[in-house]
Amino acid sequence: MRRYLLNRLWQSLVTLVLATIVVFVGVRALPGDPALALAGEERDPESLRAIRQQYGLDQSWLVQFWKFVSHAARGDLGESIRTGTPVRSMILSALPVTIELSVLAIVIASVIGVGAGVLAAVRRGGPAEWAANGLALLGLSVPHFWLGLMAILYLSVALGLFPASGFVPFFTNPVANLHHLILPAVILGTGLAAVIMRQTRSSMLDALSADYIRTAEAKGLPPKAVIGKHALRNSLIVVVTIVGLQLGALISGAVVTERIFALPGFGKLTVDAVFQRDYPVIQAVVLVTATAYIVINLLVDLLYSVIDPRIRVRGEA
Amino acid sequence: MTRRLSLNRFMPGTRQRTVAGIGAAVVALALVGTACSPVEQAGSDSSSSSQSTAGQDVFGTAADAAQVKQGGTLTVALSADPDKLDPTLSRSLYSRYVFHTMCEKLYDLGPDAKLVPQLATALPTISADGLSLTIPLKQGVKFADGGTFDSNAVKISLNRDLTLAGSARKSELGPITSIETPDPKTVVIKLSKPFAPLTAALADRAGMVLSPAAVAKLGANFSNAPVCVGPFKFASRVAQNSIKVVKDPQYYDAAKVHLDAIEYRIITDSSIRSANLKSGDAQVADSLSTQDAPTLQKDDSVSVLQSQSLGYQGLTINIGNANGLGNPLKSLGTPIAKDPRVRQALALSIDRDALVKSLFGGLNTVACSPVSPKSEFTSDAAQACPAHDPAKAKQLLADAGVPTPYKVEMVTSNNPDSLRLAQALQGMVKEGGFDLVIKPVEYAALLDQQDRGDFELLQLGWSGRVDPDANIFSFVATTGSQNVSGYSSPDVDKLLTDARQSTDQAERVKLYGEVVAKLQQDDPIIYMYRQRNLTGVSKKLLGIQVYPDGVIRTAFAGFAK
Repeated sequence: MRRYLLNRLWQSLVTLVLATIVVFVGVRALPGDPALALAGEERDPESLRAIRQQYGLDQSWLVQFWKFVSHAARGDLGESIRTGTPVRSMILSALPVTIELSVLAIVIASVIGVGAGVLAAVRRGGPAEWAANGLALLGLSVPHFWLGLMAILYLSVALGLFPASGFVPFFTNPVANLHHLILPAVILGTGLAAVIMRQTRSSMLDALSADYIRTAEAKGLPPKAVIGKHALRNSLIVVVTIVGLQLGALISGAVVTERIFALPGFGKLTVDAVFQRDYPVIQAVVLVTATAYIVINLLVDLLYSVIDPRIRVRGEA
Repeated sequence: MTRRLSLNRFMPGTRQRTVAGIGAAVVALALVGTACSPVEQAGSDSSSSSQSTAGQDVFGTAADAAQVKQGGTLTVALSADPDKLDPTLSRSLYSRYVFHTMCEKLYDLGPDAKLVPQLATALPTISADGLSLTIPLKQGVKFADGGTFDSNAVKISLNRDLTLAGSARKSELGPITSIETPDPKTVVIKLSKPFAPLTAALADRAGMVLSPAAVAKLGANFSNAPVCVGPFKFASRVAQNSIKVVKDPQYYDAAKVHLDAIEYRIITDSSIRSANLKSGDAQVADSLSTQDAPTLQKDDSVSVLQSQSLGYQGLTINIGNANGLGNPLKSLGTPIAKDPRVRQALALSIDRDALVKSLFGGLNTVACSPVSPKSEFTSDAAQACPAHDPAKAKQLLADAGVPTPYKVEMVTSNNPDSLRLAQALQGMVKEGGFDLVIKPVEYAALLDQQDRGDFELLQLGWSGRVDPDANIFSFVATTGSQNVSGYSSPDVDKLLTDARQSTDQAERVKLYGEVVAKLQQDDPIIYMYRQRNLTGVSKKLLGIQVYPDGVIRTAFAGFAK
């Protein structure tokens, strides 16, 4: 297990370095630079030169890369070229918002997805399955952007049930915080709920036709216990994997959702930084995202072994 | 068994590499994708929200103190994130929305686009030779940190504008040689050459006075905790999301301030800004889309303020910018670059009236010159406009020996409003013998292509300044810092320099009229229309005003009783 873990950590480090290089080069390969984006319509060659010099953009890529990496290693992510705010504090204030939003979205998506999936599998061929499948198709095919707009138009503007924008930190006012986040979380969770529902349904169907379920039923266990304890538990492993795999989709969905609801989150930070060519912010954001990916994947793998001991045994073999 | 199979599919190791790889690829793709994906233009109000019924400005009125209650937080939905909150370094138009509540200027603009004193007590006294400006200052004014506002503070701020690395104000201030402070309530600015646009510059960010104590403490990081004189003072900023200012009790006219705080919330999508306005989550929204404005005008709870911009939307033609901006001029060598008749033909093919009516539902005004009809410097000559004449355009092309349809490429921003404009133009100029090919790119990429001279035609606007010099010189003078057309005309250069150095308004009006006539012959830029800033305001709020400089005045507003 230890060797396996070390191996995984080493792979992670290589991935991280590669991701950093790809983004460092990629962002500089884009037309335009921070000086141009910053100067906007008020630009003249002299001030562009001054901005480039001020932020070391006139130095070679190698020097810039070394500066970024060496500073980052010390925990210094630089400051935003556009606003002059330290990137570290920008990320620290944006991350909790996105984490809370994502966790809420995962919870909502799991509740809806697993519930609908189990229902569709148990009531196979009935209207419940049709309804669940139809909803899943909608959830997968309707873009977040449109769904968010509709939610604002009908639930915020027409009915006034939820705020259309804004954010209140959890520790300032937990109720207001949830009130502001629930709509974005539902919108963000729709795609994931659909994926979870379909996976739960198919693995539940597999499980329900397995020998051990017949055995359990033959032993006279009530249907609730057969479905909940035996079939569902065994199906959940795939669902956990899916949630882990869908995290990327969730973060890209958060980009859209956060922009629609004006949430000060990580996705909005990233996409705005790209449009403004704010190199230090983009680089730092990617570094943090890549690290998060790697850590979460590691966690998902560890979770497997909690849910299914056989994996742990095989891993050690 | 199937379950085991699906497990194998997600076996550790291979899966992890794949996921991380996909992650990196997604980010990389997202980055590359920006070069061709839709984006709201930041830092410029060009294209989108270009607006409104011809000539009908609705600036809003000042609040009647008897009708407003004290307190409350106003939420303003802003279409773009301001950049640095440092008047010396700031370049984005949107920072001015925030500055006006916390950083007063020596001069301000009235609703009639005329200059009025703000922290000064009167317009500057200019010496006969035009080389010295004397500015009398208000007394008994305090900065938000308690420091005293005086001539020394003005001197420190102006010197900072002139010397700080990366200053965006240096070129606006002109040839200043020294700043003198004969006493605490008088500043004297000395110039090496007369520079008429200086007073107007002092009615913008160059005229904002920073607290000397804050400047000494924060230096170039002033934007992290800006301190000036204003009805409100800086409270907090969440990067790319919101900025909050709170009432400053030390403000010299604090009795006129009704709100407790103002929060600027950045919402880039115009339809979502409108939705926030309708739901009451925001009480003010800037840059409404011309598509949303008519619906909002019918809404009982919202009113729409309109102010015609001092800027313009136009088509820049690459005449001599083959080498890139700042390098020696070199002709692109194409017929449209070489022959003014071809450019005139293009200008004649554009039906500005139809453009304004069909594309913006009549919410717009035609522009044929860089001088706004609202400017103090307008004249009949400056507003002359050659009529739409596709037949003449074809004739001119024939005279120039250019076979039709003549194919030209136009680079434009890839936001929906710009694309609609480009398509309308494409249809229009066909009649005049042009085959317009649209090349949409993202905003930052557009600026890059523009400066490198990598375009034939380019559609972009200018948000406009009070003094016409700032709307013309940079763009069409040979040495203009943004002469991306690569245009060079000794006649225009002379007219512009004379206008810049003249302190006689009538003389300047005449000179700008002559400049316009010359520009319409040479057409380095084809001026098309003037945008109107549309601002949505909740009727619960009184006293919101919008002036021709496009800045939304929120500082003295209040909620209705």
